[in-house]
Amino acid sequence: MDQLTLITFLPLVGALLVLLTPASQEKALRVIALVTTLVVAVLGVRLYLAFDGASESMQFAVDKDWFVLPSSAIAVHYKLGVDGLSILMVALTAVLMPTVILSTWGHIDKRVKEFMVWMLVMQTGMLGVFLATDLVLFYFFWEVSLIPLYFMVGIWGGERRLYATIKFFLYTMAGSLVMLVAVIALIYAFRTSDVTALLERASTLDAHKQAWLFAGFAIAFAIKVPLIPFHTWLADAHTEAPTSGSVVLAGVLLKMGTYGLLRFGIDMFPGAAIEHAPLFMALGAIGIVYGAFLAMAQTDVKRLVACSSVSHLGYVVLGLFALTRSGLSGSILQMVNHGISTGLLFLLIGMIYERRHTRALDQFGGLASTMPLFAFFFVFTVLSSAALPGLNGFVGEYLILLGAFQTSPLWAILGVLGVIFGAVYLLMATRRMLFGPVTHEENKHLSDLNVREVALMLPLVLLAVWIGVRPTPFLDQSRGSLDRLVRKIETARGAHSAALDPAPASNTEVIR
Amino acid sequence: MNPQDLLHLFDARALAAVAPLLALSAGLIVLLVAGVFRSLESLRGPIMVASLLVAGWFTATNFGAPPGSVIDGTYLADRASSAWGLLFVVATLLAWLFSQHYYSEAERPFQLEHDVLMLSTPIGMTLMAGAQNLIVFFIGLEILSIPLYALASFRRSRSRSVEAGLKYFLLGAFAAAFFLYGASLLYAATGTLQLQEIAKIGIHGPLALAGVALVMASLFFKVSVFPFHLWVPDVYQGSPTPVTALMATGTKAAAFAFLLNSMFMLPKSAALLVAAIALVTMALGNLGALAQTDVKRMLAYSGVAHAGTVLLVVAGTLAGDPEANGALHAALFYMGAYVFTAAGAFGLLALLERDGERFTSLDALKGLAQRRPVIAAALTLFMLSLGGIPATGGFLGKWMVFSSLVRAGLIWPAAIGALLSVVALGYYLRVVVAMYMQPIAERDAALARGPDSSAAAAIAAAVCAVFVLAMGVLPNLFLDRLI
Repeated sequence: MDQLTLITFLPLVGALLVLLTPASQEKALRVIALVTTLVVAVLGVRLYLAFDGASESMQFAVDKDWFVLPSSAIAVHYKLGVDGLSILMVALTAVLMPTVILSTWGHIDKRVKEFMVWMLVMQTGMLGVFLATDLVLFYFFWEVSLIPLYFMVGIWGGERRLYATIKFFLYTMAGSLVMLVAVIALIYAFRTSDVTALLERASTLDAHKQAWLFAGFAIAFAIKVPLIPFHTWLADAHTEAPTSGSVVLAGVLLKMGTYGLLRFGIDMFPGAAIEHAPLFMALGAIGIVYGAFLAMAQTDVKRLVACSSVSHLGYVVLGLFALTRSGLSGSILQMVNHGISTGLLFLLIGMIYERRHTRALDQFGGLASTMPLFAFFFVFTVLSSAALPGLNGFVGEYLILLGAFQTSPLWAILGVLGVIFGAVYLLMATRRMLFGPVTHEENKHLSDLNVREVALMLPLVLLAVWIGVRPTPFLDQSRGSLDRLVRKIETARGAHSAALDPAPASNTEVIR
Repeated sequence: MNPQDLLHLFDARALAAVAPLLALSAGLIVLLVAGVFRSLESLRGPIMVASLLVAGWFTATNFGAPPGSVIDGTYLADRASSAWGLLFVVATLLAWLFSQHYYSEAERPFQLEHDVLMLSTPIGMTLMAGAQNLIVFFIGLEILSIPLYALASFRRSRSRSVEAGLKYFLLGAFAAAFFLYGASLLYAATGTLQLQEIAKIGIHGPLALAGVALVMASLFFKVSVFPFHLWVPDVYQGSPTPVTALMATGTKAAAFAFLLNSMFMLPKSAALLVAAIALVTMALGNLGALAQTDVKRMLAYSGVAHAGTVLLVVAGTLAGDPEANGALHAALFYMGAYVFTAAGAFGLLALLERDGERFTSLDALKGLAQRRPVIAAALTLFMLSLGGIPATGGFLGKWMVFSSLVRAGLIWPAAIGALLSVVALGYYLRVVVAMYMQPIAERDAALARGPDSSAAAAIAAAVCAVFVLAMGVLPNLFLDRLI
């Protein structure tokens, strides 16, 4: 079997194994899930290492007949492939999962079997979204990946879990179904569902059509990211989700939105993307600042991190729609960075919640003295999230702001302000949790992190340092694809300005 | 009709064309005769299944053969009508399997009558789908409807069931009258009842238009489309659940089959009107379903919404869908998926249902995943398919319906329809929420084991689940035969 099919469907096989194991064998269930995700992680790393970043094309491509849509005979293929835009996301999805599974030891103790099944199904869905190079297949995985989180929040979530999960599902479905119409329209416009072929040809559509199709896709992705003003579902979903659910949501699921904007927004319709870039840059930059302010106002530390997600993904969107090389490559890297640092933050908050059963900021204080290891990891993560030079966040945000500045200084400046606000709420939360006197009796006897908890965070911590110190190999992975994309954007920009300003030649005609 | 035409019946192709009808009728007669002898009681099931299977087999052979028309071209067995025919056989078989062990001790002695009535419905449906003549359609409609009236009120001791039968009968009689009046006006205007002849002459003048309007009204009644959908909730809820399954799947499919055959009568300019009717139907069905606390009633409203969705393909064709068979393929696949999904959902409700109606309420489903995980998982699958989520047949059906609209340039109706299906997810999810995310209601905790299930129903539910998944994941198995 080919590599990509194996990596995509191995989690599903693991899910079937879990399904066949009796629910009483909790230990066996956990081990099966962990081993499956570890194998997937190894496969993911192997894929990452074998990937040639200098190449522009889809690599490790798989292409098999799937079905033929009747009456217009459009052949839908089972087609997978990976290129520079998706390789980092695939690797992140593969590597993050063992950590997530290992974290469930601490907080999932009822209905373990179902949880593991959903977790593994979700991984298949997410990998499928990043790997699919057939539009129908992509849409297939896109919707399938919604369902596991719906169950995770709904069954294992906090008090308002039903509200949160239904809101999450309906919000994202509304976007998806609008996208469905756009997907159908795009497929019938060219009578193919092959993404590579569509990427080549979609820009030949007339501008009006492109703008509509772009809007159809962009709404679904903007809700998923989520971009202001579609962000309200995120805070609820994050707050109510169990720790592991939050980690996957922040780490990978939201990236499906930014990845979609990149592949099916910018790459598919460069002309429309250029036209709408100011809007998206504005929404991104406003999201950065607004998210930061929201985060400052939170008293629940998990909600605070959820709001910070809105802010951080604002950077990604700002960088993407700067439509410059550095903006795009910074955004791709920042997707990974956000997965690492926000994932770590959610893990840490989960760990403290398992001990104290509260997430209210004012219930903590002085934890540094009772839980030094926790404090170390927390401070490290906060610094990574606040983009301290030398850690991963810095590289991504720097490139994004650089790219944004080339296109629109105004929004870049707003983005820079966001960096400061980001440091403010993160450090404020750190101070209130970790430092000062221990004000609550319960906090005096908290046990520090155990070996499992440290072990599950270590890979992410190492990755954060690695990307921070030597980002080049990571950035190089998307070089070839970005070369292609930037060329495409330049061509479209030429056409765009020619259309806006048909001036020189004809003007002279008139004057004569 | 002269005697020569009767002789013509015996030519091989014509015989093959009516073979499914003959098989079903023969089964019906054998069933009635066997019913006379008490000692043959145990043959009831095998006769029922055998005649449906034989009819299905004949239909399947017609599917591959060249079109065969009989009795002066008033009935046609071609690829499309055979595909519909297969659906009718399947729908009847599923409904029958779910009806085993469904009825109470008091009702069991009448099981033979029940089966006879049920076996006569696919005869009517098949006639409706193959009808090329308004009268033949009407005969099919009555062969289908009259047994259904009786079946709807089959649980005579329950006032709800009797009410359902009476309501269905009264309104059905109106619809039948509408149809006859419309057909007579069409005859007056065009001088023929043959669809092909009417198509040649065309619909001109107020008389013909009035006829078309009346015929369409009666069809809209049968498929339960706005503004003729109001009978649905009461009838679906009151009827015995397996009968509801048959009404929701078979009847609707048969009426749609003829609607697609006769939609040429509608003027092209009606495209937006039909689209609006379809969207209003979807909206009313979905909003109505959202307000329900009884799952059976909720599924009734959802059936209305689905009828609206299928009606969209008619709008797509009128607006000029460039693919000649786009509407037919979309409707066939959509209804095919719907037959398995809705029959499965109603069937599982029938399985859960015991005496009293309480068991179909949303409350009673709370915590079902803990008590009966397999049933909960299957019901979840059906809910997701009704909601049109990928990996289920419902998704591709929805895809094909919206494709027809997009090809015809009706982008806005497609987008509104897509958003209306988000509303639908709201209530499908509620069922899932109740089963998986809410604790068992206290009074049900004692029922930890639930009622004993019947093997026939379990097999039928499993078949439904397999087909729903197969249509979603390996649609080529079905689509390759459509093209």
